[in-house]
Parts: sequence; structure tokens; C-alpha cells
Amino acid sequence: MATGQASTKPPDANEYGGDEISALVLDPGYSTTRAGFAGEDVPKSIVPSYYGLIPSESTPKHTKQLFGDNSINIPLPRISISNVMSKDGTVEDWDTAAKLWEYAITSRLTNTKPTPLVSNGLNDPNEDITEDITMEGVEEQEKPLGENPLLMTESGWNAGKDREKGIEIAMENWGCPAFWLARNGVLAAFASGKPTALVIDIGASTISITPVHDGLILKKGVTRSPLAGNFVSNQLRLLFSSSQPPIPITPHYLITSKTPVDAGAPAQATYRAFAPGTEPHPSFRHFQEERVLTEFKESVVNVWTGPGRLGGHSAQGGTNMDAARQHPGKPFEMPDGWNQMFPALDRYRAIEGIFDHKMALSDANNPPPSPGQTVTALISSSLSQVDVDLRPHLLGNIVITGASSWYAGFTDRLQQELQAAYPGVRVRMVASGQMVERKFGSWIGGSILASLGTFHQLWISKKEYDEHGSGIVEKRCK
Amino acid sequence: MFPAEKKGEWEATKIRERKATNTPNKTEANGQADADITMGEANGTSDGQAAAEDQEDDPKFEEDPTSEEGAVYPLQDGRIVDWSCFFALLTHIYNTMGPPFHTPILVISQPTWTAQDHESLTQFIFEKFKTPAFCLMDSALAVCYAYATPTATVVDVGYTKCDVTAVNDFLVSDLGRGSALPRCGGEAMTQRLHDLIGGKGFTNDVCEQLKKSPICEILPPGTDMPAEAEANAHVSNPAAAASTGASGSGAGQRGSLAAQGGAARGPGINTEVGDADEDREFKEGEDDEGVLDVAAIVASGKTSEFLAKKEREKAAKAAAKKDAADAAAVAKERSLPNSKRVKATFHYHERRPLEELNMNGKRAMDGETGQDGGEPKRQKTPEPGVDSGAQTTENAAATRREERKEERRRNREGTAFIRKSADVGLERFQAASGGILDQIADAIHRCILSYPDISKRSDLWDSLIILGNGFKEALIGTLNSRYLISPSSATIFTSELPSNFTTPVATGANTPQPQHHPPSHHGPGVNPLLLAATTASNPNLAPPGQSQQQLHQQLQLQQYHQQQLQQTHQHSSHAQTPTSIKLLKMPDYFPEWKEVGMEEAGFLGAQVAAKVVFVVDQGISKGFMSRTEYNELGPQGIHESCL
Ligand SMILES: Nc1ncnc2c1ncn2[C@@H]1O[C@H](COP(=O)(O)OP(=O)(O)OP(=O)(O)O)[C@@H](O)[C@H]1O
Ligand SMILES: [Mg+2]
Repeated sequence: MATGQASTKPPDANEYGGDEISALVLDPGYSTTRAGFAGEDVPKSIVPSYYGLIPSESTPKHTKQLFGDNSINIPLPRISISNVMSKDGTVEDWDTAAKLWEYAITSRLTNTKPTPLVSNGLNDPNEDITEDITMEGVEEQEKPLGENPLLMTESGWNAGKDREKGIEIAMENWGCPAFWLARNGVLAAFASGKPTALVIDIGASTISITPVHDGLILKKGVTRSPLAGNFVSNQLRLLFSSSQPPIPITPHYLITSKTPVDAGAPAQATYRAFAPGTEPHPSFRHFQEERVLTEFKESVVNVWTGPGRLGGHSAQGGTNMDAARQHPGKPFEMPDGWNQMFPALDRYRAIEGIFDHKMALSDANNPPPSPGQTVTALISSSLSQVDVDLRPHLLGNIVITGASSWYAGFTDRLQQELQAAYPGVRVRMVASGQMVERKFGSWIGGSILASLGTFHQLWISKKEYDEHGSGIVEKRCK
Repeated sequence: MFPAEKKGEWEATKIRERKATNTPNKTEANGQADADITMGEANGTSDGQAAAEDQEDDPKFEEDPTSEEGAVYPLQDGRIVDWSCFFALLTHIYNTMGPPFHTPILVISQPTWTAQDHESLTQFIFEKFKTPAFCLMDSALAVCYAYATPTATVVDVGYTKCDVTAVNDFLVSDLGRGSALPRCGGEAMTQRLHDLIGGKGFTNDVCEQLKKSPICEILPPGTDMPAEAEANAHVSNPAAAASTGASGSGAGQRGSLAAQGGAARGPGINTEVGDADEDREFKEGEDDEGVLDVAAIVASGKTSEFLAKKEREKAAKAAAKKDAADAAAVAKERSLPNSKRVKATFHYHERRPLEELNMNGKRAMDGETGQDGGEPKRQKTPEPGVDSGAQTTENAAATRREERKEERRRNREGTAFIRKSADVGLERFQAASGGILDQIADAIHRCILSYPDISKRSDLWDSLIILGNGFKEALIGTLNSRYLISPSSATIFTSELPSNFTTPVATGANTPQPQHHPPSHHGPGVNPLLLAATTASNPNLAPPGQSQQQLHQQLQLQQYHQQQLQQTHQHSSHAQTPTSIKLLKMPDYFPEWKEVGMEEAGFLGAQVAAKVVFVVDQGISKGFMSRTEYNELGPQGIHESCL
């Protein structure tokens, strides 16, 4: 946070003084976009960052966009699924993103305001009506967020012109009276109550390491790689397809009913057929497969907690892989009823690649990760970029956030890896045991920040934006 | 509501000039009552529509309580789309009930209402009604109150939309909530019927009546559709028919299906095939039995001259023959439950402009209503076999008297109802075949699988509440056949594995707990904002639901026995859900609601809740917002107390 300049200046008259109006917090991620009011402990509006596209019959160029869980899970004719975010966790399609965010905000949080009571035509016009209900600035009102300041999050590597897009949408499209842009890593530290922390965020598209010192991001220490949720999903796809015989992932929408079958026996289900030309696009299927895979991650996948790596040797000399084979498996049933006991080795194997690149499954479309992409390597290279004196402090305040860190054993394993890499330092981790807090760490941090009384002096007001243009973000939101 | 003369003002009923012409349709005046409103100490009813009748005699204008022409519906899919109209509706309801001056108000909020909507509504209620206390309660939570359960998955199928909500420990989960699934309400089912048989001349209005008639059922998935030869097969086996008549699911029916090799056809697939069959059946019906051909009747409703002659003559002629010849057929048909019959007859009202009827003459009308069996009552399979002959004559006389009276009344108003009956084929089982059940089922699956506390998901699957009539079994059937995880035969082998190794489940429990009070170790240049935040003394971030949870727990103890939730978890090595799917039992402390069904459970729950919130708890747990709080905090304060 750029407190330095801002807090030393006395608040001037034009500054936004919005203690009364709740600020909004918008936290876009690759899998979901989170929006809600500052001061609340969970975002009220959680909308997939995926959206649906229906090509128009007549003019193929025109497509209808669908937002929100209610509409993008229905296998409508020729529906395809896209994402407003890019594979590296930044916004890719700003135009659609603006619409999707607006949907997230207006569908659950704000609304088009009712007309003032005075003129709303109640049958009894003699009723005394308090003055403050009347609102001025009609054109402001027509914009969806004419009253709410907006705090938006961005990834630690968001840069250049992309940093200015957010304020432009907020001010121009939405009519926000004030804006702030914050790094999501910093906010996650905030949510855990740490002014200084090493934040490890494992989301869908990226795993990132953000060193935070006294509430300020240490930008050169930010490291990231794609070994996150989507990577694990693809590891699972590889695991299934390399099985003998291969295990198909048939998402729910393709099944009308299933019949119980024995473990390993072929599925007996009635499948949904689509009339030729109305089949959903493969991207829809891919999106629906994610639902199955997330369920698989939740109920089957486990992190190998050592000692040592899964590919290593135990103290007794045997391989850890052999040891893992002795561990119990877990059953999983696919939407078509096919089910099997998944051996422990598979359960560990699916995620081991995040810690040990050599253990990752790969094929032509999924090249093996490089050694520098594993979580341990990312932390090392992050730390190597920050002041030596600060390193122990950061290692003692590791904050773990993001839904893909939820695997059983994840923090234990990371602790081991780091303790082995930094034997002389005391490694300590904070990871919320509440799924909601783990998943929405950066949003919650934003909620805390934007509701602080002292934060009001930081907001970039509409007036400042009008004076200085969008470049003001780069100056103020460090 | 209806727009009044002056723009922005509203009337509760249609006002029109006296020498009015025809009004096309009749339904209730106020439109969908998506917002339930409870006034006072849980003893009010919200029937705002009742007020329609009392009118002053104005020489120029009159109210038409039956017209919905030009009506504005302030709520669409639960969303408030016309605030002025919505406020007028609230005012109308309030005035109709005329509560004493200091009456607290509870409003059930729709899941689609936004935080800002809550504020606007709060402001209106306090400013306009001068209420001393206001409680805004989530609709799903209100339902939980009716069922006296802290945990449930509430599936509320409404008029045009459906809401799916997971509630755990009286806290509504926003994650994965299916708010207002579009085109998933009762209206969509009517529409589907219309799509299927509208081509045969059934109007939307008739389809609505068909949907509500006992012959329209939504069969659970996998139920065999009756096939054409069915009826005969049964007659040839009277013993079987007799033995299964009571339960409607005996071996006899199944045997007969097997006998004719009936291909199993579930509702929702092969709709086109059903259509083709149906066309043929309709023609057969016309020729063989002299049953009124529906298509012709209704089509003639549009081309009235044709109706005048052909149709009436035929009907009159047929009436006598029909009575006799059909008696046997009807009797044998009636011995079959509805779901086993290819065709079934239902009775409906059709509203017609008067001129048309005058042209046709009264005789035709009588002929048409001759077979009327009285007001159709909602009835489930199996239908009891009745002595149709006696009943018909008796009823017919009564109905005719009624009809004449009704007609005279209608004559004054320019329209009349005529009673009709029609045969409907297999389409009557396909009201939900347009994918509604699939969509709702999928939303339930998504909702529960988004619930963040994985260990609670089984409970949510085992405590479904489905509000809405006629499709519960079918929906449960769909859920079972699509999502139920069967006990895996693979788990047998787990017992052979070393049992001393427990598999950790991904609950995050094995991870370090969060530090809410971090060590106050701050360097000199610490960000003051962070300092404030990290000292954990941030009043703005109130742990929501904490005080409310206390309230609920307290209420729970005071009001009911603690719901015995299944403490004995099924021992399964599955971490996946659902391994079972159950409907929550209907509460039995309000016997009078049992008959009506729990469709309005939200209202019932709100009555219970209002009593508890306003009277028992007296605001100790912040269940409502008081006038003083409103004056202090303004409309925004509602977020701190809305439930
Ligand atoms: N219980 C769980 N266990 C493991 N993984 C999970 C679980 N729940 C969700 N995931 C995975 O976590 C990912 C989503 O994480 P998160 O919501 O933190 O990402 P995001 O913030 O939207 O994405 P990003 O940070 O990459 O922009 C998905 O890949 C999903 O499959
Ligand atoms: Mg993220």
C-alpha cells in the first residue's frame, strides 16, 4: 500500500469522505470472480470467471454471452465456454470482463436504485417523506455503482497499461466515486493479520509467491508458475488416460441416468444424445469436466507427507513409492457410475509434481514442468530477490491461500521441504482451517482494508481521476 | 397492480369504464405473491387480494376484480423490477390488513434481492408504515423455521423460477446458491404442456388447468409410460387388475407391460414419438367413442361460426350414445390408475365472449356440460373406481343449475365460462420434460458440492426440502438416478489393507490453525493501516451470524425439540456425496398445513419466526431492526440484523 505520500498529506476538501457508503471489493481470479461489500467476512457474489457463448443462427459473428452459474452449466445448443482471465492470472478480455464483473456486482449486491420516494407514485402523496431520501445527480444514478467506492485486486505481476484498465471501467462505465487497486498477495497477508509475510497463493491458473514487507509488496521477489489447480486437473487427466484401460471422464450433463456397477466394471448409463448441430462445444465439456475433477481432488487426492519426496528413498532403504503402495486407496465414482478404488500411489502422484518436477506426468500436450517451477523452487528464487535480513522473517510468516492448497497434507509437506532447504531458520506457516477463508483470502483482506476508517484517505477520488487520468493508479497504488 | 389514471399511481384492481367490453382472461388481480409478508405477532395472513370486492358505486367507473388486463407485476423471477408498483402493492396489503399502529413487520426476502434492495425496502417500511420493528428474513431460512430444522437444502419451485439454497446451522450459504434459476417454475411446466399439445388447439389457460388437474402427473424417471394396448391387457386379466387396484403398482401392471413387450419409455425422452402416437389416438377417440374432439372444440373457439353448428349437433347426438356406450369403457378405464392409462379425460373451464355463446344458443352449452363430473380435485394415482353413471346424472343436474346461475352472472359482465372436457394422452406426463428437472437437479448438485464444509454435505443431501406440487418423486428420482454414489464394491478390499493407517480427509484440519491474534511485532515503519487491521480490533468485520446463531439456538430450544439429525453417519469410505438422498420430514405440529401441503412453508415459517423474533427474543439477539436503530444507522443498518 502506498501509504507514504498519502497519509502525510492532510485530507483535502475534495477527498472522498465515504464512511457511510459501503465500499465494494472485487477480486477476479481464474476460476471465480469474488465480489462483496467491504466489512463482510465472505463475498456475497461468487461468479465463475468462465462465461458462455451462444453463436447466433443467422449471423455467425454475433454471439450471445451468458454469465453466472445458472446459465453456463446448461448444455444449450452449441454453447461454448471461455474465460475472461488469461492462463497467467491476469485479465485477458477486458470488455467481457467488465460485463462479467458488472453482472457479479449488480446481480447480488447493488441494483438500479428505486426512484426517490417523493416521486415514486405512492398512492398517498401526503405522507411526509424525509428529505434525505431524494437523491441528486440523476445521471450518476443511472450508472450501476454511482455510490460505491470500489477496491479491486490484481495479481502481483500485473503491469503497464493493464493497471489502468480497472480504474477506467470503474470510473467511466460504472460511475464509481472512488477507486483503489490492491495486489491480491498483499491482501491475503492482510487477511491473516500479517504485515510482513511470504504469501503462497495456489489458485487455478497460477501458483505465486509474494513477499510482503510492512504491508508493501516487494515486487522483484514475486515469482510464479502454472503448477496450480489446472495443472493438477491435467495431471488427473493424464493419470486417467494412461490407466489400463483408460478411464473416461464423462461429465454429469452427458448422463441421464446411471446404474450401479461393480468396481472396475464398465459403466452402465444412459447417455444424453444431442441432435446433430446442437452439440455443445468441446470447451463446454472441458468446463464440466472440471467439476468432476474438483470433486476428485476434494475426495481422493492427497499430498505425500514424507519423510522425503515420493520419488525418494526411505531411511530403511526402500523406495517411498513402495511404501506408498501400502497405503489405503480411496474409491471414486464417475458421473456415469464407473467406480474404482484409487490406489494411494495415484492419489499422491497426481499432485507430487507441484513439489517435485520429476514426478509430474506428461505427454505431448502437457510438457513436463521445469525444475524452477515447483513450489519450493519458486520460494527459493523469491527469497533470493529480497534482503538477506528479511528472509528469516518471511520464512517465519508464510501465509498459504488459494483453494488448490486445500489438499490434505499440503502444509505439512511444504513445511518439511522448506525446513530441509533452510535448516537454520524457523519456518512457520499460517493456513486457515476454514475453507472459505482459505479460498477467499485476498477478497477478505480487501474487505478488511476497505472498511478501515483510516483507509478513506487513500481512495483515488473521481475528481482526482478526472484531473490526472488513469495514470494516477501507477503513482498511487504501488 | 394496475397503473392508475395518474402516472405512477396504482390500483389494486382493474378499473374501467362502465360500458366495458370484453375482458379476455381471469385470474387473481395482484399477480404472483412472491414476497410473503407477515404482519404483527405471527397471526396475520397476507391475503391482500381479498380487498378487491368492496367498491363504491361510481357512475362512470367500476372495478373488475377478475381482469388482469394491463396488470403490472412488480416482481419477476423474484426480482423487484418495478419499485413504485412494488411499494404500492405493499401499501395495499398493509392497508387491507389495517394492522394496529405499533405492529412490527417481517418481510421474507427473495434470494435475488440485493443488499441495496434490502436497504431500499427497509427505508420504505420504516418511513411509510412507521413500524417499530422490522425483520427481513431470507426465504430459505423461513422455510427452515417451518420445518424446525437448522440444516436443509431448500428447493423452492415458484411461478417462473426456482431457488436452491443450502442452509446449515441456520446460516444461509451464498456459495453455490442457485438463485432464481430461470424458466424452472410451474409456469415453465405449463409452457411445456402448451408446446406439446398447443398445436391441438389447447390454449395456455387450458394447459394451466390441465397442469393442475389430477391427470397431469410427473412420473419418476424410469417409470414405464402406459402403452396403447394397456387397457385391453388389463381387462383380459381382471384378477390382476383387482388385486393391484389399491396400490397401483402391483405385478399385474408390470406383467401386462411385459406381455405386450412395451418398450420402457421415460418421460422427457422420445417426446416426438409420443406425439405421433397421440395424433392417432385422438382420431380414434373421435371415431370410436364420440368423445368430444378437443382440437375441434378449441379450434372452433377461434372460428366461432363453425363451432355454432357442426360441433353442437355432434355433441348433442353423441351425448346420449356416450353415456351408455362409455359407461363400461369408463368403468374399466377408471379401474386403472391414471399413470397406467394412455389417455385420460379432464374437465376445464373456458372463458368465451358472450356474443359467441348467444349465437350458439343455450342448448349447446348444456349438451357440452352434460358429462361434467364436478370441480376437478387434485388427486393422485390410483384413482378410485367409481360408479360413474349415478354420479354423472346427479352432478350434471347440479352443475347445470350452477352453470345457469353462473351464466346469468356472467351475462352481466360480458363473458361466460363454459365447462368442457377433453382427452389428453401421454403428454400429460411430460410437463417437466423440457429439462426443468434436469436443471433443478443439477443446481442442487452444484449447490451442495459448493458447500465449503465438505463434512456437512451428507447432511445437506439428507435434508432436502422441496416446495412445489407434483414433481417431488420425479425430482428425487432424477437426483437418485443421476447423482447417487453407490456403495462401491471396491471398498470391500479396504479391510484387507493395514487399518492402522488412517487416511486424512481434505478438511484442512491437519493444517495449522489461523492466527487471529498475531504477535504484535511491528517495526518502526509499519503501515498504520495494517496495524489497525492486525490488532484484530476491527469492528467493521463483525463475525456475522454469531449473535444470530445464538438467537437461533435459543429459539430452537424454546420452540421445538432439537431436531434429531442423523448422528450415526453411514460408515462409508467414500468422501464423495451423496451416498443417500432424503426428503426432510414434514413437521406435524401444524396439522392444518398438512392438507394444503407445505408449498407455503416459507410463510408458515415466517409466522413462527416472527413470534420468536419479536415476542420471545425481544431483540436480544438482534433478530430485527428497531425504530431506534433505524434512526441511528439508517437503512444500511439492516445488514446487521437481517436474517
Ligand atoms: N477442495 C479442494 N481441494 C483441492 N483443490 C480445489 C478444491 N476446491 C477447489 N479446488 C481447485 O482450486 C482451484 C480454484 O482455486 P482459487 O479459487 O483459489 O483460484 P482463483 O483465484 O480463481 O484462480 P487464480 O488464483 O489462478 O487466478 C481450481 O482449480 C479448483 O479445482
Ligand atoms: Mg487466486
